[in-house]
Amino acid sequence: MAHGSQPASHSKALPADLGAPAFVNAWKSRALIVGGISMCIAILLIFLANAQDHLGFDHFYRAWALGTMVTWGLCIGGLALLMVQYCSGGKWGLLLRRPLEAMSRTLPLIIIYFLGLATGMKRLYLWAKYTSDSDTTAALSQHLISEIQKHCLDFKRPMLNPAAFLSVSFLCFAIWGFYAWRLNALGLKRDSQGRETTPFWIKKLENISGPGIVVYALTMTAAAIYWVMSMDPTWYSSVYGLLFLVGQGYATLAFSIIVAVSLSKAEPFKTLLRQTEQHDLGKLTFAFVMLNIYLAFGQFLIIWSGNLPDEINWYLDRIRGGWGVIITLDFIFHWLIPFTMLLSRDLKRNKKRIVRVCQWMIFARAFDMFWLIEPNFKDAARNLHFSWGILEYIAVPVALFSFWLAYFCTQLKTRPLVQTNDPHLEEILEPEHVHA
Amino acid sequence: MPAREGTYGLLAEFDTPSDLVRAAQQARQDGWRRMDCYTPYPVEEAAEAIGFHRNKVPLVTLIGGLMGCAAMFSLETWISTLAYPLNIAGRPLYSWPAFIIPAYEWTILWAGLSAAFGMLALNGLPALYHPLFNAPNFRDGATTDKFFLCLEALDPKFDLVEAKAYLQQFKPNSVVEVEY
Repeated sequence: MAHGSQPASHSKALPADLGAPAFVNAWKSRALIVGGISMCIAILLIFLANAQDHLGFDHFYRAWALGTMVTWGLCIGGLALLMVQYCSGGKWGLLLRRPLEAMSRTLPLIIIYFLGLATGMKRLYLWAKYTSDSDTTAALSQHLISEIQKHCLDFKRPMLNPAAFLSVSFLCFAIWGFYAWRLNALGLKRDSQGRETTPFWIKKLENISGPGIVVYALTMTAAAIYWVMSMDPTWYSSVYGLLFLVGQGYATLAFSIIVAVSLSKAEPFKTLLRQTEQHDLGKLTFAFVMLNIYLAFGQFLIIWSGNLPDEINWYLDRIRGGWGVIITLDFIFHWLIPFTMLLSRDLKRNKKRIVRVCQWMIFARAFDMFWLIEPNFKDAARNLHFSWGILEYIAVPVALFSFWLAYFCTQLKTRPLVQTNDPHLEEILEPEHVHA
Repeated sequence: MPAREGTYGLLAEFDTPSDLVRAAQQARQDGWRRMDCYTPYPVEEAAEAIGFHRNKVPLVTLIGGLMGCAAMFSLETWISTLAYPLNIAGRPLYSWPAFIIPAYEWTILWAGLSAAFGMLALNGLPALYHPLFNAPNFRDGATTDKFFLCLEALDPKFDLVEAKAYLQQFKPNSVVEVEY
């Protein structure tokens, strides 16, 4: 909107230097230190746990799976949000575009994490341990697996076997890699061209992102099923992929808010981050908090109502034997706290407080994943007990997340933080009351 | 209440929200309190400029929502455990997971109704008459593309001649006197 009689209004100018501020390097070195220390502790814990219950490596790999899932969620969740904002438009999208691109460029590190997961396959997945009918028969006779587990392993073998696991995973990585590469390359190319190309770019990026969101939903469902759900070969849930999808949106938005607010201590985000967009992002995060509990509770209610022996055990493994405490805390951490906090308008507009809530949400996401992963295993199902190995669930994810964060900072520094060839840029520099 | 007579206030018309916000900020700084902004869409900075204060609608909404939740959850508990205890697939009579969804729906319903009616009750709507509609430019512009600042005659600083001169310094499109 044009300014009328008094053009000398409080509209802002774009700062000259659009690069990431210097303190991103400090974040990076801090993350590397924390990651290194945590990894040392994790390795120490393997030996402590082995001395205690011979499950040291098992717990290490389970915790590795947790860390991989959290960082993977931020990486391809970032890719998905990047595609969503190209389709939906909005000034929050312009604000987050470069951080989201940097998140999507962390995919190589996720592939390395995945390779770590794949080396521990035999400890994580029964179907990788018993790869033929004769294996399962032998395991059943030694009471290593139950009859229903043997039945499911044999029946699902065409899908759940190491070769299928690796090929599906690498196909997914190839697809995500393609989208990440394409969107990142086009993002730079767009900046090198003039304003008159804007309609072309809007259409072009929409046409890539629209189908991309569908492809993302399908591939991430496949990955979530192979990587986490198949830890219990007897159980299935048709909402599982969607739960992970919403969880990724939940964590990715929380992380984006933390990044945007932390970057706003210096230019260029100091100028760009307005209260309006911060508030919008808070509201969007709030929606994901609701959707997340809606799906999680929906899955629980349907299985609880059905009360069928092939489904309900999955929940009983996660409720009985002390796990009731964890699921109650999970509900409080994952939903009640973010929900009640984000209801407040003042909190969403307060930089310090919204960052606190978002940090908490990322922790809650990892806590939820602990509840999803650990009870899959015989030693922990319906039997929550302390062991040195449980502490791996703190050490390894902290290490993997810290290394990921360091890599993210490296990626963030490779590009200017703002896309300049975008009509939203002028609007975001205007005072907040100009637009409805 | 007897009908009021005389001047309701002075109405300044602006073309842009920026001009309105600047004028409102200045007026507040100069000590004006009985004033209001009228805009075709919500302009939050204008509300802040005239000393936006909190209202009780969020509180009413919260209480309504909690009441709806408690009412439905208690109703279901009463029906299932005391009034009509039925054995459904061997589940306990007090099967709280099944009660959550209606309780949740009632939370939303009551929060929504409380917000809507609480808002109407607290802001005095529906109002059948407002003096500002006596100004023709207000009738035409307030819902389309004009931004208005009204200094009300109830303000102790208000003096017809001085207030008019005061508003003129913001270079509005027009300043009109509005009668009750």
